[in-house]
Amino acid sequence: MGWLHDIILRKFNSIAGTRYEEIIKAYENFFLTEEEMVIPEIESLLLAFDRFSCELPENVYEVLLSFRDARVTAVYVIDEAVFRIIRETLGEAEAEEFKKKELAFAEKFLETVEEKLRTLNINWERRIIFGDKSEYVMDALENHDLLILSRHYGFETTKTHSISPVVFRIVQNVKKPVIVY
Amino acid sequence: MDPMELTALAIFIGVYAFIMSEKIHRTVAAMFGASIILLLKVVPWEKVPEYLDLDTILLLAGMMVVVNIARESGLFEYIAIKTAKLSKGSPMRVLLLFSVVTAFISAFLDNVTTVLLLTPMLLYITKKMDIDPVPFLLSEIFASNIGGTATLIGDPPNIMIGSAAGLSFNEFLLNMGPIALVDLFATVAIIYLAYRAEMKVHEDVESMAMTIMSLDERDAIKDPVLFKKSIAVLIGVVMGFFFHDKLGVEPAVIALTGASVLLLWGGTSPEHALEKVEWATLFFFGGLFIIVGSLVETGVISQVSRWMVNHIHGEGEAILIISWFSAISSSVVDNIPFTATMIPLIKAMAGYLNTYPLWWALSLGACLGGNGTAIGASANVVVIGIAYREGIRITFSDFLKVGMTIMIVTVAIGTAIIWFRYVGL
Repeated sequence: MGWLHDIILRKFNSIAGTRYEEIIKAYENFFLTEEEMVIPEIESLLLAFDRFSCELPENVYEVLLSFRDARVTAVYVIDEAVFRIIRETLGEAEAEEFKKKELAFAEKFLETVEEKLRTLNINWERRIIFGDKSEYVMDALENHDLLILSRHYGFETTKTHSISPVVFRIVQNVKKPVIVY
Repeated sequence: MDPMELTALAIFIGVYAFIMSEKIHRTVAAMFGASIILLLKVVPWEKVPEYLDLDTILLLAGMMVVVNIARESGLFEYIAIKTAKLSKGSPMRVLLLFSVVTAFISAFLDNVTTVLLLTPMLLYITKKMDIDPVPFLLSEIFASNIGGTATLIGDPPNIMIGSAAGLSFNEFLLNMGPIALVDLFATVAIIYLAYRAEMKVHEDVESMAMTIMSLDERDAIKDPVLFKKSIAVLIGVVMGFFFHDKLGVEPAVIALTGASVLLLWGGTSPEHALEKVEWATLFFFGGLFIIVGSLVETGVISQVSRWMVNHIHGEGEAILIISWFSAISSSVVDNIPFTATMIPLIKAMAGYLNTYPLWWALSLGACLGGNGTAIGASANVVVIGIAYREGIRITFSDFLKVGMTIMIVTVAIGTAIIWFRYVGL
């Protein structure tokens, strides 16, 4: 019966031609891959903020609600390099002034987030750190399962670049799922 | 037999043999045969327009343009995803919904396009459900062939019959629609009964349903504006078919109008749209019409029809013979050349019998006969070919067991309906 099977395959090639490949290519755009099919287990979330980050939108809070049992860590990152440059060029006093202002801004930002998380009954811990914005997030994510960050994180976005280069670098280098808002 | 008759018959048999063997492309076989007929002047050049059924060729061409432009918009992938989501991961729903949707689309569009677009989705969800895809694929094949029986534009044999006998879209729908409907549900029931043991979901039902529901049909829409315009034109074309006899225009005119409106309105490049027209199929039809025309021209057809009329005693017997002979023949031979041969035969019987019910018998047999074997219809070959590429084997004998059962049951139901309608008890 092998010759009958050969006839079927010959007929298939002459009828379908390249159309099947075109259709499969179109379907691949919205079929989930095997990797995407596995729903990741989220036990800890990392929320990264900085001076350029925008406020968390409502749908991100909804995501947080769906991982109610997960450990949430909110980190505000102040660029250590900027602090160092100010100290080296303008002096210690200017650097301290900058630090004070940045810390006040960070506190205020995190308070807004904290207020919302409290109303949603989500437990969280917060940190303000000095460091490299991309390096810190990539290292910290080793101990977390999901990263949430603003598309403006690390850099002002422009008309031509809707995602900051820092976010782009992080997303390209981490293996954990990332939500960019 | 005179030399011209012998030549026409030899070319006809030779081309048939080449088409069946698949050694060379059917279009090449038909074009080569037609060329020899014209070179030997078996059919004089001035008589070519008489035998070339432009109604059929232009209707097919018009529908190909409409379908190809609509395909570009992502309309059919949208329907496939929507159907998958409606099934909510239930095997019975997948079987029923995909069969009904396949039959419905096949009733208005060509069967190959329908199964090419729906099969990847069916394979995807059966994989996610971790169930055997074979019953679902078989049901899709049968539904496609059954759906194509329902309307004048559903299957090429119907287009040819409609054009040759001057039957309207509504006449087809009224005569063949109810048969297709009963046959479709009978087929789904048979498949379910035969494969119910394989239709049990082993995976975590909730997470599997979630995966299917996570598909977003809007992702399939490549061009939202063209998507809406395609739907509007397709609805317009179908409405046009409903009223073509009242408007006094041929179905081909409706299809060509739809194609030109979509080209004009949709802004698609005509070069791009026309390059996707299956020219090989259209030339195959052209060649075939000339080859069969040579049998008419030389008088072979009228001799065979006289012989048949002498041996057939009444319409009832003719209905039975034509429907079953067509079904059995179409299960092994391409139903297009078969229908092209049968049309002049039935036309020649017009002086002796009421041929009106015979057209329905021919349509029934030619369309549903394709379900009999794996090579009976293009939809069968396409689905089996796709399955093979995805590592699923449906052998000729596997298909034959189910296909023959379905063919016998559906043709029996159809013949009974035609019989009771036109012959009575």
